[in-house]
Formats: sequence, structure tokens, C-alpha cells
Amino acid sequence: MNRREFVRLMGLASSASLLSSCGLERETEKLIPYLVPPDDGVVPGVSVHFNTTCTECPAGCGVSAKVMDRRAAKLEGIETHPVNEGALCIRGQASISTLYHPDRLRHPFIKDGQGDFQQTTWDNAYSIITDALKNASGDKTGSGVDPKPRKHVFLSGRTTGTFSEAVDSFCKETGVERLPEFEFYPYSAIREANRILFGRAQVPSYRIDEADLVLSIGADLFETFVNPVSFAAQFGRSKKRSSFGWIHLEPHVSLTGLQAKERHTIAPGGEIYLLSHLLREVSKVNVAGDRHIAGMAELLPDLLPRGFAEKTGLGVETLDALSRRLIRARRPLVIAGGVSTMQPSGLDVAVLTGLLQWATGMLGGTVRFEEAVDYDRVGSFRDVEQLEQRLESGDIGVLFLCRVDPFGTTAGGSGSHTLVKLKDNFEKATLRIGMGEFMTKTLEMCDVVLPLSHTLESWGDARPRGDILSVVQPAVEPIHDTRSDGDVLIQLTRAYQGAATALSYQEFLIGRLKVRHGSATIEKLLSEGFVKRRVEPLTVTLDRDALTHHLRRIIYDDSHVKPVLVVAPSIRFFDGRSRGLPLLSEIPDPLTTVSYGGWVSISEATAEELTVKDTDEVTVSVSGWKTALPVKIQKGLPRGVMMIQWASHDDTPFDFDRMSGEMMTIYEGAAIAKTGRSVAIPALSGSLTPEGRKVIPYLGEEDQHHHGESEGHPTFYPKHEHKDYRWGMVIDLDLCIGCSACAAACYIENNIPVVGAKLHLDGREMSWIRIEPVYAEEGDNVEFLPMLCQHCENAPCETVCPVYATYHNPEGLNAQVYNRCVGTRYCSNNCPYKVRRFNWFDFKRPDDKNATVNPEVSIRGKGVMEKCTFCIQRIRGARDTAKDEKRKIKDGEVIPACAQTCPTNAIHFGNLEDETTEVGRLAKSERAFQALGFLGTDPGVYYLRGVWKKVHG
Amino acid sequence: MDNLEDKIAYHRAVEHDVLSAMKNPSPLYWVGLLVSAACFALGMSLWGYQIWKGMGVSGLNNPVGWGVYITDFVFWVGIAHSGTLISAVLFLFRARFRSAFNRSAEAMTVFAVMTAGLFPLIHLGRTWFFFWLLPYPNQRLLWVNFRSPLMWDVFAVSTYFTISAVFFFVGMIPDLAIAKRFHNGVRKWLYSVLSLGWVGSFRQWKHYSKLYMFLAAFATPLVVSVHSVVSWDFAMSVLPGWHTTIFAPYFVAGAIFSGTAMVITLVVPMRKIFRLHHHITIDHFESIAKILLFTSLLVTYSYFVEFGLALYSGNVYESGAFLYRLVGDYRYLYWGMLICNSLVPLTLFVRRWRRSIPFLYVLSILVNIGMWLERFVIIVTSLSKDFDPYAWGLYKPALVEAGITLGSFGFFFMLFLLFTKLLPVVAISELKEVADE
Repeated sequence: MNRREFVRLMGLASSASLLSSCGLERETEKLIPYLVPPDDGVVPGVSVHFNTTCTECPAGCGVSAKVMDRRAAKLEGIETHPVNEGALCIRGQASISTLYHPDRLRHPFIKDGQGDFQQTTWDNAYSIITDALKNASGDKTGSGVDPKPRKHVFLSGRTTGTFSEAVDSFCKETGVERLPEFEFYPYSAIREANRILFGRAQVPSYRIDEADLVLSIGADLFETFVNPVSFAAQFGRSKKRSSFGWIHLEPHVSLTGLQAKERHTIAPGGEIYLLSHLLREVSKVNVAGDRHIAGMAELLPDLLPRGFAEKTGLGVETLDALSRRLIRARRPLVIAGGVSTMQPSGLDVAVLTGLLQWATGMLGGTVRFEEAVDYDRVGSFRDVEQLEQRLESGDIGVLFLCRVDPFGTTAGGSGSHTLVKLKDNFEKATLRIGMGEFMTKTLEMCDVVLPLSHTLESWGDARPRGDILSVVQPAVEPIHDTRSDGDVLIQLTRAYQGAATALSYQEFLIGRLKVRHGSATIEKLLSEGFVKRRVEPLTVTLDRDALTHHLRRIIYDDSHVKPVLVVAPSIRFFDGRSRGLPLLSEIPDPLTTVSYGGWVSISEATAEELTVKDTDEVTVSVSGWKTALPVKIQKGLPRGVMMIQWASHDDTPFDFDRMSGEMMTIYEGAAIAKTGRSVAIPALSGSLTPEGRKVIPYLGEEDQHHHGESEGHPTFYPKHEHKDYRWGMVIDLDLCIGCSACAAACYIENNIPVVGAKLHLDGREMSWIRIEPVYAEEGDNVEFLPMLCQHCENAPCETVCPVYATYHNPEGLNAQVYNRCVGTRYCSNNCPYKVRRFNWFDFKRPDDKNATVNPEVSIRGKGVMEKCTFCIQRIRGARDTAKDEKRKIKDGEVIPACAQTCPTNAIHFGNLEDETTEVGRLAKSERAFQALGFLGTDPGVYYLRGVWKKVHG
Repeated sequence: MDNLEDKIAYHRAVEHDVLSAMKNPSPLYWVGLLVSAACFALGMSLWGYQIWKGMGVSGLNNPVGWGVYITDFVFWVGIAHSGTLISAVLFLFRARFRSAFNRSAEAMTVFAVMTAGLFPLIHLGRTWFFFWLLPYPNQRLLWVNFRSPLMWDVFAVSTYFTISAVFFFVGMIPDLAIAKRFHNGVRKWLYSVLSLGWVGSFRQWKHYSKLYMFLAAFATPLVVSVHSVVSWDFAMSVLPGWHTTIFAPYFVAGAIFSGTAMVITLVVPMRKIFRLHHHITIDHFESIAKILLFTSLLVTYSYFVEFGLALYSGNVYESGAFLYRLVGDYRYLYWGMLICNSLVPLTLFVRRWRRSIPFLYVLSILVNIGMWLERFVIIVTSLSKDFDPYAWGLYKPALVEAGITLGSFGFFFMLFLLFTKLLPVVAISELKEVADE
């Protein structure tokens, strides 16, 4: 072959290969923009929002569901909704993951002879149920004759609004008895107290934002109490008022307590003495007028200040200051709740609190019955006890259980309480019908299981408070063969008697709403998600006789046996119903940073006495209940008080107060013993104290001024130029309450994988934003530091990446190009904040067909580094809109997921380049500092130092 | 040796001794080769497993993004160092005793760099995109980040490999020509190709000496530069315990220290197996031991300086990092490192121990362990507790990492064993030259 021939052949070969690779590829399709929108209105990549109501807990927050490509992708609070004011809690954010959860019930099931569930049709299930309903004799076998007629009963969780009417109508039509509703937190002590005092068995609404002094006793305002998001939002606003003060008293340590301006540890059971003292002091001042209580104060124990101090465990000065401040306050608010009303003297605490509220003129002001929270049909554990007795006596025929799971969190192992007995006698009902979305421990014991639709697939409404009506409307088509609870009741009625009042629950609902509110309201309801109506002021009168009667009955028993076990309400699991959401276990408890599994918190003193340290296992027992748990030492916990969280593990102790029917949270005479074993617990924090490090620079040294420390650091590199924007964030540490809603929102928005307990133990959690509790070395003060990528101007990660996978973009974002990343992990090593997350594996998403993926955010594969992007997809969206309108992005137009859901509005986001923006202004504040600013990284995230707690008013 | 006949006899003996080492592998050799190859195969399959499953099969985690792999990398680069040192630097200083070791030291260098080069690839999350670390022109206009010390590593290590391979090969050319004479068949053909037509003419020797001198001069600064660059992987970061100016000289000293120890570890059995007692004598070992002692003192000095600066700084992060090394979770490793690298080598002040080959052998292994621990301690303790106490966390190497490390030793020893049978293990012409002088 000569040279020419060679060149010719080469030319031929290369052009042939070029031509062949230029051909049409199979996947290539023509892209044509829509001239005519599609019939079903679904435009790919364009999201629509449906305003509906969160049903994860009874609070009734208004949510807007973002639906893109027919899939619900995210829930966000409705900005104007009076309950949650645009925010959503950790559970609300996580609740969307139930919609596409692979464990959801997909068909009706019936139990066969062997006790296994067999799939069946709705019609078949209905016919079994109607047969049983018609056979009132309760004859199980069909052979003999059971002489005693049985009652059919319907038990549900708390219902409000039209669904409650639907239940009534179903019960009436089919002859079923409706039982008082079941809730683990029925607030029955408060309701019973208000019945005694004012003849209103209600939970009033508390207006923190109108008070100048809040005195909260045991109430877990930010965890589970009535509506935590609302309380947090009100606190967020109130803290900015200079006149606002907040004193919290509790026998243990709670997230709420740690946020108060002043926190005092009260001896367990000491609340009645504290309230007696306060009432006595108040009665001395308030002698005249219609609210005089001098006569009643006489009935309270008269211990000298020293006596009260001894019983409450508070100092004489503290007690004195408390009463003085309460009397001096213009609009005080006293709230007792949580562990203080869920204890042996809980009803008395609630009664005394009610009396104090009345005596100090809070009613109609900061405590309002006109906006009472609707717990009217909710029963108490006394009703559960009754049901158990009726079951035992063979009185119950068909038992309907709608969205209740009494056996889910307790009744597992030890104990011989009502719930265990209820479980044992469960069999004695002729037919048990369970309705729910998941196969719970309760549903497992049922004969017929009817799968219910998710809230986002259903019609409904909610009346969280007297003045608010909130709508539930479907955002997506039902995914499985499920039906909404309303539809099930209507269809059952039809199956029972051949006809029903409405074709569907939607029709029933709209009909009822129309009758009650008119069509105009319905339109507003459907578009805005809620209507708020004006309520007339309500005059509440004190029933002095009933009160006197009760005051005489109070037993001042101070023989409290330590140690005491407190079963504290959990911000993550609520009453246990939220336990199934994997995301809630993935995000750590803000106090201990423990993510998966249970633990017992003990005081430093107890740990010393037992010679145990974190992760050592102990057995904890109270009468009739015993379990082994690893230890976590909790700062600020008083000696002799141990703490576990309700529903944080499979078997929590249970008992209830016979007086009020309220669940008990304080158990006296608990025992704790070392087992000698050690159990690994995934506590995500390496250390809960600063260890001398100054991530929060002022902790421990009050006077140093750290603002602007990073300015003027010498550098070899030219300064970054920002033409229009430098995106930045300002986080107010005064407002951060550690509720972790931001973390949940971030997980959902950014498709962050939930990796599970094992990887947490290995130190491989994937959270982009985390709440760091930083306890002061001395004392029990704690600051919550939300830590996320700081988007440093001089980012240590950017210089070390060999392939420019992370770089500084022109808008000041520390951008991460997933596709370019080769996975050296050098950036993470060099990040002083350790906020970068490496994909150690290909994380499989648990939901069906990646359905909960936010289509606007890519999913990262194994071997790639990821981190907070400041929700760059939202910045892009805003920029597109702004570009279409030929303008710059306005301040407040871009709100990252974390800032959007923050109940206290602690997180601000915007353009730092422009000094007129909110962040531009706040970053110049006297309180502003940058985390580890001395390193010269110049973060785009500024923190505002917490000062509120330190200024005593 | 004034007598020409004696000289010729001695030359014959050298040729015979060295070249007979290349013949007839013993059963022990085969066992050694098989074990090494098996370890290597195990390491490679574990790497495959890691690529398949993800980096999560290692023990690495959130604060600790680098662990055993980077430790291995630095360790092997360190091992690579004294090859060049013994060959080039001692050549330039006319240190006669180098002739006994230089060939194996050079081979060690080349193989150690090859082994070291595996680890940056192994530790990548997406190994299959390793070529993105190379600055090659592409239509996407993507370029590499020359500010990243990892980029400098790419160049430092590849340059070092190229130079040491060329140096190794050039130094071997006269010996390959000798080997050609003693072999038949394929090997004869191989050696004649590799010896590049060497006939030993005066002209060839003249060029050869110049080239060799030039290469030695060229390789010498690389000893300093390569390990300085490797140290900058750490020193250029912001981490307390990494970010310190002493790192470059400290790492270079450490590298020579560990490399010298590895030379002893390799040459002692080689000398015994191939019966090279006449050519590699106790005096040679003593000289090497002196280098070992000197570098040990340098390294110990660095430890002191590092610690002193940290404590003196009054900076809580700096002093925290070093106190953590001393008394923290990894304290036993740190203490082990101090014993192996600083305490035990002090025994070399005693002449009798310096000249005891079994003692030197044990000591060299201890130093190897100590230096591995040093890198591990530096890398892991600094990462495990840095600025933000919330993010602190511990790292425990996983079995996969242990297996891959074992595989790297397998790879190294496999190459070295192949070398002993394929190429002249001692520089024949240099030994002759030394004898002539």
C-alpha cells in the first residue's frame, strides 16, 4: 500500500464512520411547543397548586399542594391561613411521603379462616359488613342462637366539620352507635376543667401574640400541644415586641422550655402549689370587681412562701418574682398543658389554671372560648375503658375503627393497662372493620380492612377552630383502589339500605356547605383553601359552686416518689401516628440529635450515680412496665427525672388519670438499673457542647464583637464580581426554635434520600440542612444553629476540586455540578462546616416509581457530592418569570423550601448585593455574624445572634 | 585488584552471581509469586465490588472523607522516594555503597509509584471518569482546576513515574547487554531489544555516563518536589492539623525515611535468597542504617515542631487537633507511630545494632508500620474532629479497604518478584567499576 492509497482509504473509513454516527437516533423526537394546550390541562413541567388542609395531626393547618405532571410533589403552608400562617411543621412536610408510600393499602382485605388477609372487592367487603350489621344478634357461628342483642359501634379519631355529620348520618341510617372519638392527646383534663369552671368542655384558643407575658406550665407548645405551628408563628412575631416576656415551668426538659426567656424546673406534682401561690397572690390584689376570688383562694393551701418554694422546688425569690410579674402584666397569658395536665394532679392543675385565667381577666382576651378548638366529640380514656368493658361483656357486635390505632405505640410488650385489656377483648366483637391507609397494629386485628384514600386524594373539610373552615380537596387521582372515608360511609349506607342521601361524599360535602355558607363561600373556600368568619365575643361565667366543690376535693399530696419517668410528647411522632413516616426518623430529635430508635434521657447527676455514659444500656421500669433502652445524658434535666419520648420506640408505658381520662405522662417511683451492655444509638451530633470551639462566636463570651471579622483577609484571588445578585441568607437565632421543619422541607424539595439507621450509625446521613443544638458548657442554655451550605464567597471547597465540579457562580452561589463530580471528597474534607454530603451508594427511593420526586431537582447517583443549593430551582423559576416581565427579581420573590416552612420566620433569603433588601439590611445588623468567620470564608449565610433570652425584662 | 586475571575472575564472578539469580525459580519463589498475585487479584476484585456498590463499602463517612486509600497513596509514594534518593542523590554524591542497592531501589521506586498511582483512582467516587482529572482538550470546553492540589498531584506523580522509569531503564542498559549474552530464545531476543544495541564501546560509555549523570541530576529535585506536592494535598487545606507550613519538608523526610526502611525490608531477603553476600555487605547496610537514623531524627523533630507550634498558637482548633491525636480516639495508633518512628530508630546510635542484619530487618518493618500509621493518624484525626463539634465523627476502616491495601502489597511484591527473575537485580557494570577503582 502506498502513501496515497493509505490516505484515500483512511479518508473513506473516517468519513464513513462520521456519516454513520450522524444518522437519526431512535430516541430523537421533534420538539414542538404547545400551540393548543392539552385537554386535561396538564402541561409537563408546569406546576399547579391546590389549597387543602393538612391532616397529619388535628391542628388543621392550611396547605397548598404543588402538583406537577399529575404528581403531588410538595406541601407548603398557605400564606394567609390563620392557623399556620404559611408555615408547616416537620410532620406536615413529611406527610406527603405517605401518599406514594409502598406500604399503603391498595385493596380491601378480609381475613380468611387461617387469619390471613385475602384481597377482596369493595362490593364483597360491603356485603360482609351489611350482613353483619343486619345480624344484630351477634351470632358469630351462625349455628346457635345468641340471646343477647349486640350493639354496633363506630370509633374514629377526631373528626370535625362535615365528615362528622357524615358519620352521624351513617350511624343513624344503619343503627350504629357512635362512640366518643379516640385521641391519645384528647386534652380532656383541660376540657373537664373548663366544664367545671365555665360549663364549656372545650380547649380555648390561646393568643400568644396578644399577650405581654406568657406563663406556660408544662405545655409543649412547639411539639404537639393543640396547634404547634400556630404557637411557633405567634412566638416568632411576639419575640420582636420589646414588652414580650415568656416564663416556662416544667418538670423535665422540652424544646419549648428551652426557648422561653426564663425556664424554671418545677418539682413533679408541684404545679398545684405554684398555682395556689399565684392565685393567693392575685387574690390579694384583685379584691373588688366581679372577678374577685378571695373566697376561693381561702380554699387553697396557705403555706408560707417558704412552704410553696419547698413544694415547687422553686426559690422564694423566683416565686415572688413570678407572682409580681403576673400581677404587673397588662395582658398576661397562663397556659397549662402537656406533662403538667397529664399527670395524677392534672385535672387540678387545669382547674387552677382556668381559675387563674379567669381571675386575671385573660378570658376573651388572650384565652378565647369563642375561637375554641373543636374537640367536642373527642372522648377520653374513660370512654376507652368503657368500650373495653363492653367488649368484655359481649355487648359489642360490629366494631368500626376509622383512622385510629390505639395499639400502635403501646400495648406491645409490658403492662396490663386498659389498652392491653382492650386488645385482649378485641376478639369479642363479632366483626371488626378497620379503615385506614396503612396496615397498623390495630388494623392487623380486624376482620375487614378498608383502604382509605390519602387526604390529597379526597374531598373533605376541617374546622380546626371555631372561626375557621378549611377545605380538603383532591390534588391527585386516587393511586390505588382506595376510597375516601366519606365515600365509604355513603356507600356503606347505600349498601345497607339501598339508597343514600348523596351519590358521593363530594356531593354531600358541597351540599352541606352550600346550605350552611352559600355558594360564594364555597368558591372562596376552594380557591383559597379556607374561610375565616367573625365570631361574636363570648361572655364566660364562672360556676362558683362547681368550682368550690372541686377546690374542696383537691388532694394536696406531696409524697412524690422519685425517680420520676416523664413520657414527653415527641415533636416528630406526635401521638404515634406519624411513626410510620421514614423521614421523621431520619431527621434527628432536636434536643438529643438521636435519629432512629428509642432512648432514655437521664440527668448528669443520675448518670454519675449509675456510672453510665451515652449509649450504655439501662432497664427502666415503672409499675407493670419495663424496658431496656440506651442512655442519653440530657443537660438541664433535674436529678431524679428521666425522660423518654412517647412513641419513640415500640413499647411506651401507658396509664390514664381516672379523674380526667387523660393519658398519664408522669410516672412516679420509676426504677433504673444498668445492664452493662452498650447499644449504638444514631446520635448525629459529635458533641452537644461547643468544646471551646466558636462556631457560635459569642457563646460563653458575651462582650466580644465578631461582626465583619472576615473582612480584610488577605487573598491571592480576585474578588468575585456580582452583577445583579449575590444570594444570601440571614438566620435569626433568636427565632429558631429547633423544630426541624426546615430539614423536612429540604428533604422533600430536593429529593434527598432517606438512608436509614445503619448509615446514620456509620455517619452517612444526607441532610442538607441540620439543626445543631449547641448547649452552653455550663447551665442549660441552648442555641439551635441551623447549619447548611454557607455559600462562602471564598469557599474552601471550590479551590480544591480538581475538575471544577464545584465553583462560584456569578450570583454568589457555591454551585455543585453533579455531572462533573468525580467524587474525590476533597471538597467535603476542606469544608469547615461539613455540610457536603457524599452519595455512598445509589440510594433507592422507597416510594412507588420515584413518584415523590420533585421533578425540578435532579437525583444524584452514587459517587457524587451534593449539598444545599439555596433551592437553585426556585431561583431559576423566579428569574424566568422576571425575565418574561423584563425586570429584576424582586425581594422576597425567591423563598427556599427551608425559609418557606419556618414557623417563626427565622430564615430570610434574598440578594445581599442590594442593601435595601431584607437580607441586605439584616446582614448589616449589629447582631449579625458569620459562622467561623475568622477563617475568612465570608459565608453568604449570616446569623443573627440570640439576644432575646439574655435581656431580662 | 591489580592483577588483570583477578579482575577478570572477579568480573566473571559478579556476572555469574547476579545472572544466576535470574535463573531457575525455586518452589519458594513460586509460592511467593502466587501469594502476591492472589492478593493482588483479591484487591482488584474488591475494587470491582466497590465500583459496583459505591464507596459506601469502605468505612469512610461524613467528616472523614479520606482514610486508608489516601494513607496507602501517601505511603506508597513515600516508599517510592528512597529509590531515587539512593540511586540519583547518592550517585551524585559518589557514595560507593549505593551500587549494591541501587537497582532494587530503582525497581522499588517504579513499582511503588505504580502502586501509589492506583489509589487516587481507587478512592474516586466515580472512577470511570478518572480521565476528567487530565487536562485534555475537548469540545465541551471543560478544563481542570489548576488551583487544586489534587491536580498538582496528577502532574507530580506522573512526572515522577516517567523520570524514575527512564532512569531505571537507562541504568540497566549495560547489564541487559550482559544478560543477553547469557540467555537464549525469547529472553535473548527481549534483552537484545531492551539493550538497544549496546556493545560497550567507548563512545557508548561516554554518552551513557553523561545521560546517566543528567538523569540523576534531573531526578534529584523530584524527590523533594513530589512529596512536597503530596504534602500540599493536606497543607493547602484549612483543616487544623493539615494546614501547616512544615508539611513539605516533613513529608519529604518521612518519605525518605520510609523508603529507606523499605529498601532494607526488600534487600535483606533478596541478598539471602540470591546469595549476594559478597556484593551487598554489612558495611552497605550500616550506611543505609545511618540514613535511616538521620531521617528518623528529622521526622521526630517535625513531630515536635508541629506539636509545639499548635500548643503555642493558643488557637483552640490547632491545639485541639493535636491533643486529639495524643489522647483522643486514635491515641494508640499515634503512640505506636511515635514508638516505631522516633523511639526504636534511636537504637541505631549503637554500632553493634546498626550492623546486625536481623535487627535492621525487624526495625525496617517497624518503621514501615510506623510511617503508615503516621499518614493514617494525620489524615484521619484531623478530619474526624475539625471545626464544628456537631460534625465530629469516627472512622473505622472496613474490610474492603484492608483487602485493597493487601492487594496493593500483592501488586508491589508481584512486580518485584517478577523483576528479580527477569532483570539483573544488582548493577553488574557498576559493581565491576567499583571493584576496578
